[in-house]
Amino acid sequence: MSDELPLSGMRVLEIGGGVPAAFATRFLAGYGADVVRSEGAPDALTSDEQAALLGGKRRISVSDAQLRTLALAADAIVEDGRPGALAARGLDPHALRAEKPALVITSLTAFGQHGPYAEYESTNLVAHAMGGIHSLTGVMSRPPLQNGANQAWKLLGMNGFGATVTAYYGALLQGEGDWIDLSAQECAAGMLELYGPRSGVDGVPSPRLGNRTNAIWGLYPAKDGYAGVCALHRQVPALYGLIGDPELQQPKFMDPMERIKDDAALGDKVKAWFAPRTKAELVELGAKHKVPIGAVMTPLDLLGNASLAERGFFDEVATPSGPARVPGRMFLGLGWRKGQLSQPGADTSAVLRDWLGGAR
Amino acid sequence: MKRLPLEGVRIADLTMMWAGPYATRVLAEMGAEIVKIESPRAWDNVRTLLPIEHPQPWNASWYFNDYARDKKSLTLDLAQPRGRELFLRLIEKCDVVIENYRADVLDKLGIGYEVLRRARQDVILVSMAGFGKTGPERDLVGFGPIVEMMAGMSSLSGYGDDGVPYKTGISYGDPVGGLAAVSAVVLALIQRGRTKQGVWIDLAQRETMAQMAGDAFAAASLRGEKPTHCGNRHPTWAPQGVYPAAGEDQWLAISARDDAEWRALAGAIGASDLAGLPLAERRARHDELDARIAAWTKQQDPQVAMESLQALRISAGRVLNTHDIHWDPHLLGRESWMFLEHPCIAPWPQPASAWRLEEAQPVPRRHAPLFGEHNREILCGLLGVAENEIAELERAQVISDAPIGARVG
Repeated sequence: MSDELPLSGMRVLEIGGGVPAAFATRFLAGYGADVVRSEGAPDALTSDEQAALLGGKRRISVSDAQLRTLALAADAIVEDGRPGALAARGLDPHALRAEKPALVITSLTAFGQHGPYAEYESTNLVAHAMGGIHSLTGVMSRPPLQNGANQAWKLLGMNGFGATVTAYYGALLQGEGDWIDLSAQECAAGMLELYGPRSGVDGVPSPRLGNRTNAIWGLYPAKDGYAGVCALHRQVPALYGLIGDPELQQPKFMDPMERIKDDAALGDKVKAWFAPRTKAELVELGAKHKVPIGAVMTPLDLLGNASLAERGFFDEVATPSGPARVPGRMFLGLGWRKGQLSQPGADTSAVLRDWLGGAR
Repeated sequence: MKRLPLEGVRIADLTMMWAGPYATRVLAEMGAEIVKIESPRAWDNVRTLLPIEHPQPWNASWYFNDYARDKKSLTLDLAQPRGRELFLRLIEKCDVVIENYRADVLDKLGIGYEVLRRARQDVILVSMAGFGKTGPERDLVGFGPIVEMMAGMSSLSGYGDDGVPYKTGISYGDPVGGLAAVSAVVLALIQRGRTKQGVWIDLAQRETMAQMAGDAFAAASLRGEKPTHCGNRHPTWAPQGVYPAAGEDQWLAISARDDAEWRALAGAIGASDLAGLPLAERRARHDELDARIAAWTKQQDPQVAMESLQALRISAGRVLNTHDIHWDPHLLGRESWMFLEHPCIAPWPQPASAWRLEEAQPVPRRHAPLFGEHNREILCGLLGVAENEIAELERAQVISDAPIGARVG
């Protein structure tokens, strides 16, 4: 491993191998950790998820006794089994931590390690539903709408990545790791923007507002798809300047408190301005006039995006179906290792040798 | 008590709105000392985004206060030379600077990375502009929903029968970018521990958002796939959906992942006649199964139905709205909500730290700071500014204990 990577020298054992753990360790591997994946169920990840999340990891197939030995040779364990699953395999987190105080153990579950729902069955949909974001997405005339691409599990994984490196930093400084209990429900429940605290204050549930929070904060049909604007009060003059309707200069549209009362009329004007323009035109106008305007892009669109290409965002990963292009480094400025896919169990001997066979 | 991982780390926080402040809330929970810096003329918009009935509305916003707890507030007008000078003196004593300005703003303020490095050679700067600091789209202006659209995420969500993409009900790009920024800060600290060198991290919120759809990029690159909206259904197993329950806007999410789970569900809802359907038929007859499930759930209290289905080992959960989530028995049982006294507003249920370090036990300690509350502590106590200079700084409006020209919006 290169010394130039921030996590060079860190050993991580991934156990379970669903989306949450695989997501968290994807970035540990990229930023330099030696990530070893002990496989979970064969269908834990789709082939596309494997392409996106398994690059740069070593994959092993070992007995529970060997797994325990590896656990004690690791700096961090990231796992997404049910509560108690680790202990059932002889890897009780308390016992491991007692034997190796510097060890970080990150447990990723839908509802956490304890509490009334800890043993509940869950899927991404159920975990998403219980976290609050789901209730806010979609429109009131229809059911709440889930986000695409398994967001409950990925958000859990994103938290797992951050919490693991944070506890590891503590272990480097203080010599003591920790056992981190992360629940998908809590990760979402604590980030409900203004809607969570507002309901906590007034006791009223926030409605689903669809694609329009208000006239100047929402999505509209464009000539070739959908685009949107999110303007704060300070950006309103520039937005109105773009729209060019003199009526917008009236107090009822300029004053933020009055504007709310005429939101539907304002929305009609914004909609009419978006409709004949292409997404590219709208985005360009937004950049030129410093108005927050964006367009709904698909992953296919973005694979050809010039900005992402210039910034070297994508990694290419060889898969049985050909080369896949997937998001690479999380941010620029730190060393990143592009990794390829390994086969299940292919690295068992090498890992046992490297981790248990001699000095680090 | 065991120490928190980031105790001893001091962070100068120039962030505003939600992405950056979410990052620094988590960093504060992990023990870092956060000095939130706002200009008397350009305060964090979230303080005044919503109309608040209070003599000091900028201190009384629950939106602001939910995400600024455990931070210290220093006001400094960075557009004035004296403000910039004091800022750079503060940087000498900070490990990290974090900002989520538009890409060109930090340099325009005269406090770009090279300037910061002259104040402290090993300083870490995390910049988190919407589209990054380089590339042809660096000048785009973006908040969370814009980031979500431009990252491919909105294209993946929809009911499926109208072709309409949906943004998430929150500004999803913000907290995701914030979480990534936490990792960036800590990775940079780990690296600095070894190299003794600081670093400038260029985090584009659009790119961190795109990470949340990695498999969709694989599908697009391998097979040219365009997004398929499936509502609340699952691409493989069936049935799965969100079904109406008794009560106003109450819903149950249910997944049947395999034959056994479907048999149990079919039995529970009185559809034993369909219990033997194999997966292919369940997928083909999904609308019919949805109707049968909904006919049952409509009659059920959502909490009771969830508990009864879970007792049968069926994946089921309430779609908790923003009110009910504060009363969820599980979250209450885990003490997921806590109350902090605040001088301007009555306490409200705030989320405890989602990062449950079982031994270090991070617990939010203090309410969000009042505007400029820590000016003296930081300027006099940390930077050695004389007391008599404070009044001069106030007269020159370099510092203030109230925004100048505060207004809603």
